[in-house]
Amino acid sequence: MTTSKVRPTSPDHEDAYDRPVIERLIAVSFTLSVLATVGLGVTYWLGGQPQVEGALLFVALGGIGVGIVAWGKYLVPQGPYVQERHELRSDDVEREAMHASLGRGLRQLERRSFLLRLLGASVGAFGLINLFPFIRSLGPVPGKSLFLTDWKPGSRLVTASGRVVTENDLEVGGLLTVFPEGYENSPMNAIDQVVLVRPATTDLVTRPGRETWGPKGYLAFSKVCTHAGCPVGLYQQLTQQLLCPCHQSLFDVLTGATNVFGPAPRPLPQLPLYIDGEGVLRAQAGFDEPVGPGFWERGA
Amino acid sequence: MLVAPSTALAQPATSTPTPSSSAPIVYVNPPKSLIPEGRTLFSEDCETCHGVDAEGSYRAPNLQGLGAATIDFWITTGRMPLADPTVQAAEKPPRLTNQQAEAIAAYVTSLAPGGPGIPSVNLKTANISRGEFLFSEDCAACHTITGVGDALADNVFAPSLYPATPTQVAEAIRTGPGNMPRFGPGTLSNQEVADIVRYVEYLHAPNDRGGAGLGHVGPVTEGFVAIVFALGSLMVAGYWIGGRATR
Repeated sequence: MTTSKVRPTSPDHEDAYDRPVIERLIAVSFTLSVLATVGLGVTYWLGGQPQVEGALLFVALGGIGVGIVAWGKYLVPQGPYVQERHELRSDDVEREAMHASLGRGLRQLERRSFLLRLLGASVGAFGLINLFPFIRSLGPVPGKSLFLTDWKPGSRLVTASGRVVTENDLEVGGLLTVFPEGYENSPMNAIDQVVLVRPATTDLVTRPGRETWGPKGYLAFSKVCTHAGCPVGLYQQLTQQLLCPCHQSLFDVLTGATNVFGPAPRPLPQLPLYIDGEGVLRAQAGFDEPVGPGFWERGA
Repeated sequence: MLVAPSTALAQPATSTPTPSSSAPIVYVNPPKSLIPEGRTLFSEDCETCHGVDAEGSYRAPNLQGLGAATIDFWITTGRMPLADPTVQAAEKPPRLTNQQAEAIAAYVTSLAPGGPGIPSVNLKTANISRGEFLFSEDCAACHTITGVGDALADNVFAPSLYPATPTQVAEAIRTGPGNMPRFGPGTLSNQEVADIVRYVEYLHAPNDRGGAGLGHVGPVTEGFVAIVFALGSLMVAGYWIGGRATR
């Protein structure tokens, strides 16, 4: 190993800077760090204040950093220095010896080929069993859950607090997020969320075949955007549009939440409603199509 | 806690309700003595678009039966009188005084009764935590959780709530100005509206535990500051630490 300077540096190099001044600055930097660390400890002990603690932490760590860098940059002799590597290739005698050693070992193993195969089988079996946690980590099989929500025929509409929604609860131009009764606090309620709006007080028909779905001006749509599943909660009641905040998909309420702008590929599914004898809003049935974004098994 | 029955606002009392210290919101219709002044002001500032009897025109909506709260909101927030009815009215310094707004409200209410009176909110008994929950449910989608407002579709925007007074916030919730949905007493009780108003008031000077609020508009400004200042100072530090390679 040889160490040599590639290019001789001038012996005055280290004196290019005013060393006493630099030393003093580095000392100040380290001292500031110590003081800030003490201050940080005191502040923390006294109950803490996030901004003050942040500033003190900045000075404490910054002081160390600035001191070290300045030390290395101004007070330590500067290179570049080169250290030669030894030859990477082993010499021929060593290589020959290794080949011979490996060959001997291989012949020993090949003599017991039955044991060798058993060893392979045991390692292979253990490798296979390791696939199980990997497969489980992919999560439960969705099954029919992508097609079904918790809305059933006769489900009562309730608010997030569980209050039953009745026919006088919304004024014209009103908006409310509702869930099927019993599922308002369910961990799976994201797929159940429905945006209830009331553009009028008379029965509304959004499309042919949905003649009875909008009693007394109430319309209910799945709140899960058909594009990426964001909650479509932005209701512009003058223009009767629902806007998705994530990618600005726009749905026209009066034609059945038709997608009129943005990346959403389908209208929001509409929930058929009826009003029971006590004036409570109920679902005639669940959704007639899967809610939310498309998925492989959904088809077109 | 006193909670108004769900139909209380549909036909508000024309007489002033007896103020009770426990009522979360009291709706007051302006006194009838202001009607003559209101009629004059209406003919000067509103009639051109809204019509002689506030019945509306192709330029502006019918105001009959909307109630004093609607009139008061649009005038005291400076949105009315409006120069150009083809764009969304924006909040600006009001041209008419609160008293003049009340006078116009008295006059329009005298043409056709109905609609809520001007609300005065009792913030002392309001629950800010409940208000935050309700705000996140019903308001934050458009106004954002910090109340700074955001863009909507077709040249429409949800305005910032920072300039709004408690009365104006309650008026907006109850009357649904412009594209905003209307939240009647069946959807939000008076106590719930007061809770929301209390939270909106808190938003004027929120407790920014993380440091500078940066306008409370979220990750865009925060990312901008991080890139310009944090990355910038890192580059300066790197330039100081490193040296130019010798050739």
